[in-house]
Amino acid sequence: MDILTIAGLGKSFGNQRVLADLSFSVPEGSIYGFIGKNGSGKTTTMKIILGLLQADVGEISVCGEKVHYGDTRTNRFIGYLPDVPEFYSFMTAKEYLRLCGEITGMPAALIRTKSEELLDLVGLADVKKRIGTFSRGMKQRLGIAQALLNEPRLLICDEPTSALDPIGRREILDILLKVKERTTVLFSTHVLTDVEAVCDRVGILDGGKIVRTGSIAELKKAHSRHSCAVTFRTPMDAAVFQGDPRVSALKNAVLADDATVTIPTDDPETTMTLIMRILVETGLVPLRLETAEPKLEDIFLEVVR
Amino acid sequence: MRAYLAFTKKEMTEYVRNFKLFLAVALFALLGIMNPLTAKFLPDLLANFMPAGITIQIAEPTNLDSWMQFFKNGTQTGLFIIVILLSGVLAKEYEKGTLINMVTKGLPRRTILFSKFTGALLLWTVSYWLCFFITLGYTLYYFPEGTTENLALSVISLYLFGILLIAVLLLGAVLFKNAYGPLLFIGAFLMVLFLWNLFPEAAGSNPLVLASRNMDMLQGALPLEEIRNPLLLTGLLIASSLFSAVKIFNKAAL
Repeated sequence: MDILTIAGLGKSFGNQRVLADLSFSVPEGSIYGFIGKNGSGKTTTMKIILGLLQADVGEISVCGEKVHYGDTRTNRFIGYLPDVPEFYSFMTAKEYLRLCGEITGMPAALIRTKSEELLDLVGLADVKKRIGTFSRGMKQRLGIAQALLNEPRLLICDEPTSALDPIGRREILDILLKVKERTTVLFSTHVLTDVEAVCDRVGILDGGKIVRTGSIAELKKAHSRHSCAVTFRTPMDAAVFQGDPRVSALKNAVLADDATVTIPTDDPETTMTLIMRILVETGLVPLRLETAEPKLEDIFLEVVR
Repeated sequence: MRAYLAFTKKEMTEYVRNFKLFLAVALFALLGIMNPLTAKFLPDLLANFMPAGITIQIAEPTNLDSWMQFFKNGTQTGLFIIVILLSGVLAKEYEKGTLINMVTKGLPRRTILFSKFTGALLLWTVSYWLCFFITLGYTLYYFPEGTTENLALSVISLYLFGILLIAVLLLGAVLFKNAYGPLLFIGAFLMVLFLWNLFPEAAGSNPLVLASRNMDMLQGALPLEEIRNPLLLTGLLIASSLFSAVKIFNKAAL
């Protein structure tokens, strides 16, 4: 079942068109990576899903219910982590979670056990000070805890890792992987290594619409190719290698670096066999031989160019 | 209902922890002490500062002078303090985006406004009545023989006028998302009330009566029957301010 469906969404700010006919859906139980450049409309889309912004056209449904602008009932299914989460600085983390729980109508006992469990999960269990003194990473972790408090069916995270140091980022990603069993996650980012680390499915947003979508494996298969790279000791060796008639015949050969020849290919094994045969016959000794997997980054750069 | 209580509790915690409650209570208590004291000792003070040889005739102060101080300070200083303290009631939440989390948790927007109104009302109620009872106590102590006609009516009138200002301030806070907008909005609202007085046939219904003619009420010159219209209008204005605030806030970008 799709937990979130977006159909034909359009939004302009003044005469600047941010979203144009955006459509995608997020299946239940997945971590969906929502990728796009800065300013491509990721946050706008999320705010429309939450009823915080009004769409010009299009429809959104969450768990089968339609989203309305303003007071929307669908928010009870959703946990939201804003890009820079802000909390009442005069409260402690525990007090804040209690406020959130009471607002959503959770029983007091459940709030207590759930708060403890979540603060433990995000590593804030022993922090007694007020939120005003929290670091950015701590706020982000509290953000996840509050978003998960009422066991939402859909967790929306707006660039949760972008402002964090490598340790903080790793922690957040680990938490996302942990919650996956219970919750579907929609996760916007422009950090592609994060996407590769945790997401099952991705959608690449560009020019106001989803230009590519699917599982990471599907995307890699469909949109980018493997490549074989040979690195030589000197540029001269590389030139000799490139001069070989069989290499010239490949017509895809690229002299990427001074001493590296990169050959994009659909069939890396055959190409690599060919390269090794040429090396043996010409007596050239490579420094490194490599078959490179297609990277999400290449696909991203390819489609948003 | 639970959400309302929870958010109201949050409002009160905020007032306590950022010292707004303390500030309001301290200032109003001070006013409450000052009112009868100024009435009692102003003539003596004046006499002391006069150059030798000049004498001024000042009537012996009465309890009415104390109440005059109460209404003067209550309207000019008291309302001012409350309005200033509450002017950022929504601005800070807008600026920091703290409401987004609450709303996306399913907190109805009208509940936010009603909680804000309740919190502000509590702040005003506690401060105002504290000020009143202190003034009352000292007035009875210094001027034990003084009598008043309609003390309750005149004091409740000013209290109601304060509630009206809070409701209008809340509407202003929804309309303008910074801290200055609501203040200007209150200013404009008061301006309208003052201009209203330019039309003698309508002046009797002006809600401003509740904050400007308290001494007349106190002395029995303005009975309840004659301020029925201002009272009704005040109630109506409070209700419609809150109603429009909710309507606008429901569609406002946070």
